[in-house]
Amino acid sequence: MNLTAQNWAALMPLLVPAAAACLIPIASLDKDQDTVKPVRAAMFGMALLALAVSFFYFTKLWATGQNLFFSYLKMDRLGQFTGIFVTVAAMMALLQLWDHLHHEGWMKGETLSLLLFSAVGMMLFASTTNLLMMFLGLELLSLPLYVLTATVRFRQESVEGGMKYFITGAVASSCFLMGAVLLYGLTGTLDLEGIGNAIITAGGDPLILVGAALLLMGFLFKISAVPFHQWTPDAYEASPHPIAGFMSVATKGVAVIAMMRAFPGGIGLHTATGERVGIALAALAAATMIVGNLSALPQTNVKRMLAYSSISHAGYLLLGFVAGTPEAYTGVLFYLVIYLAMNMAAFGMLTAYGLVGEHTQFEDLRGLGWKRPVLGVAVVITMLSLSGIPPMGGFFGKYFIFKELVRTGHVGLAVLGVTASLVSVYYYLRVVVALFLEQPSEAQAREATEKPEIQSFLSTTTVLICAAIILAGGFFQLFLVDGFASKALKEGIEILR
Amino acid sequence: MTEWMSNHLLTFLVFAPAIWGLLILCFPEKQAPLARLLAIFGAAGIFFISAARLLTIPPEGPMNLVFAEHVPWFSVVGLPVDYSLSIDGLNLWLVMLTTFLTPLTMLGTWRSVTQRAGSFMALVLILESGMLGAFMAQDLLFFYLFWEAMLVPMYFMIGVWGGDERKYAANKFFLYTLSGSLLWLVALLYLATKAGTFAPGIMAATALGLPFSIQCTLFLAFALAFAIKVPLFPLHTWLPDAHVQAPTAGSVILAGVLLKLGSYGFLRFALPMFPDAFLHYAKPIAMLSVIAIIYGALVAMVQRDVKKLVAYSSVSHMGFVMLGLASMTVIGTQGAMLQMLSHGISTGALFLMVGMLYDRAHTRMIADFGGVASKMPVFTTFFFIVTLSSIGLPLTNGFVGEFLILNGTYVSGFPWGRAFATVATLGVLLGAVYMLWMVKKVFWGPENMDEDSGTQHLHSDLSVREIAVMVPIVLLIFWMGLHPRSFIAISEKPVANLLRASKAPDPRMKVQPMLQHEPAPKSELASGAATPSATGEEVLK
Repeated sequence: MNLTAQNWAALMPLLVPAAAACLIPIASLDKDQDTVKPVRAAMFGMALLALAVSFFYFTKLWATGQNLFFSYLKMDRLGQFTGIFVTVAAMMALLQLWDHLHHEGWMKGETLSLLLFSAVGMMLFASTTNLLMMFLGLELLSLPLYVLTATVRFRQESVEGGMKYFITGAVASSCFLMGAVLLYGLTGTLDLEGIGNAIITAGGDPLILVGAALLLMGFLFKISAVPFHQWTPDAYEASPHPIAGFMSVATKGVAVIAMMRAFPGGIGLHTATGERVGIALAALAAATMIVGNLSALPQTNVKRMLAYSSISHAGYLLLGFVAGTPEAYTGVLFYLVIYLAMNMAAFGMLTAYGLVGEHTQFEDLRGLGWKRPVLGVAVVITMLSLSGIPPMGGFFGKYFIFKELVRTGHVGLAVLGVTASLVSVYYYLRVVVALFLEQPSEAQAREATEKPEIQSFLSTTTVLICAAIILAGGFFQLFLVDGFASKALKEGIEILR
Repeated sequence: MTEWMSNHLLTFLVFAPAIWGLLILCFPEKQAPLARLLAIFGAAGIFFISAARLLTIPPEGPMNLVFAEHVPWFSVVGLPVDYSLSIDGLNLWLVMLTTFLTPLTMLGTWRSVTQRAGSFMALVLILESGMLGAFMAQDLLFFYLFWEAMLVPMYFMIGVWGGDERKYAANKFFLYTLSGSLLWLVALLYLATKAGTFAPGIMAATALGLPFSIQCTLFLAFALAFAIKVPLFPLHTWLPDAHVQAPTAGSVILAGVLLKLGSYGFLRFALPMFPDAFLHYAKPIAMLSVIAIIYGALVAMVQRDVKKLVAYSSVSHMGFVMLGLASMTVIGTQGAMLQMLSHGISTGALFLMVGMLYDRAHTRMIADFGGVASKMPVFTTFFFIVTLSSIGLPLTNGFVGEFLILNGTYVSGFPWGRAFATVATLGVLLGAVYMLWMVKKVFWGPENMDEDSGTQHLHSDLSVREIAVMVPIVLLIFWMGLHPRSFIAISEKPVANLLRASKAPDPRMKVQPMLQHEPAPKSELASGAATPSATGEEVLK
């Protein structure tokens, strides 16, 4: 098979991180105590370089506006959007991992390699319209994440959380595969466009609905929508903070994008099957917002709170599908960009304050805001954005989605959405309260003076960058939405069928 | 620079305080005195610039928006949002009130905040930006942004520098006010997606075309957000907590300016956009206002904490504002405009002085005082003047507003107008009862000789700085009392125009099929608008 330059070009951004992921474990074989530090730095450098190359490659592609293809791999605008999204999230996770793993005392090369493989899987997952390729991407992104969740083996709940994630994830993947098989059997093709055309001609076969439902389950599991959300808090609590952040952002993001390709882009939301899927999505979105927000309220652990918060954000994202207009999908993509910044900052903040392992209770945050005010202000921006207070980016994310929801006549869901985000304000404010409004207890203050000052330059930097993105989302929507998200849709896929 | 300034005056006024505040936020804690000094210079500068530039508007007021700035901001994915600021007769004096109170508050609470004073002053400046932006914004989403963003600095002011229950009070303030505005956002989106824009004029025209039941629902969503802010009975329960726990500066700005945004929202947006629904709900609103007037006064009467007493008096006074708006007459609405200003000044001053007392005595309980007059004669003089203005003695600012409101309600032509005006007059009386009772207990009577009492901790009368804060306030109290026309003349035409579009039963404002923003014929204006001022001045003489 001869590869043209164009094929290589489409493949390159995936190949580079994959190659780095293969090389890094070899470097980590070196166990010599004298060279451990340089080797460690080299591994991180290699991983970061690979991701950076991929990132710049994507931005170059974006600037030229070319749509590249390599058989089933579609590097169209939406694929490029996914690439930029995933590489940025992975780079931030990588920078935070450096600090986190040093604090926790668990530096292993495999971690980086697995992270890179997972990133490649994510790009593949959302850059194809072939169900089999999608499944390959799904597995390539999931399997490393199962391992990463359980990566800090000396913590018992780490292993427990990883196991839970693995078992439930395996079920979800098999559902996805079963759905793909059913659709293939009924329509004779694995290509989403072909399936869509076949559905229109075939009409409402109940088995098609079953296939579509199974496929949907696979996606909903990955974006942790109710009732497929049970793994989320345990898995997030188990994993190192940067990995939890990466999972919450990138997995959810690519699952949403792939779902856009599969449902509105492929099967269509206006066919007989699609309309039922739409009703199901509306019900699930409502349930996700209610369950996610109410469960987040009583949490005492910041990470579990953030896990439930990420569930509730899945609900807002699903609302975009319910509205189902091109503007709504643009809003969803905009939301994803802001959501990336918000959650990477929220999890990164824990690393930046040096709260690793079990020290992730709200009490552990007390009074920390005043100690490092710049970081504190960045966290406040993040929390306000998560709760949707203007002029932060998070408000505009919700605004774009709710606006379309109201315009398409789903006023009830919009009211539910704003009520849910009102509830969410309370638990996000608890972080702000702990950081700025409370004083550390005497024991904590004594401990703080005894312990060496926490140096976490890299994770602090990522949090600040995230805060800058959030503010940019609040003040320069024009660039982000018009220049980025809507282009991804307009020139990427024909979203409405 | 000067050219840019003259073209973008409003942008400068809105954003300069916030930018200045953010710069001051960067100061390390050791430099707090310098940061505080810079903050107050910044706030004073904003006041002088706003006074010098905005008061050039002729007192009778132009018809249209002046100093307007209007550029499309973002129109992504459909609905355009405009960057639109302007000043007209409805908001000029509220803007001036904001820029006037902010530096005075800073000066008045100079020594009250000891911890992280620089950050505190920075937050006051950021808050000023939010308030100015909300008063000037002419695009509803833009207004909404300021409306919400304003909560954040206030939240931190209460939460970090507040009293013992500050966490509870701050969270309650934030969630309570947010709860109303989120439903309002949905209503806003509904109307905006129908109209295709957030411009109030076009949205109003669209709203008129909707079925009446939908108009009413939308109006209620708007009214809920505004009524919480005012606060209208029974949505006032956040106010006492927030006021008692807030630091002095927070209380002054909360009572002085923030509450006005609620009534301003009614006047600027709810009334012109839903005139029919407003008319439909005028009676319930007026009834709640009367309840607020009486209830606030009665509850204030039994308070033991001076600050809480002033907080409940706010509920009562803001009830008058809402009653004036609900009367749907030019007189009543003009009275509401004036009452907003005079409440901002009188109650702001009361909170400032309670703060001065607290700084010295570290208590606010009425029972802890007695005989303060002999210890602090200058303070007592100022306090008494402000008290009289608060209870609405003729010649002071409080009288004119309340009189116009009661007058407007009485002649409104609504079947309930006379009865409600009569009951509300009782509120004026009750106001005198609780204020004078408190003043008597605190300032007169035998000196409290108990060693732990507040009176025994009062070692000094007002300093020059504190007198410098009080003098402009007292001057303003008398100016507004003696010549109220200089404050309400400018809002006559806009108010008359607003009401003409509605179908209020006021006999002097008979309905004419007219577009909202069309200039009115001269004779009509003269008959409708000359009444309030004439009546007001007649009585004064």
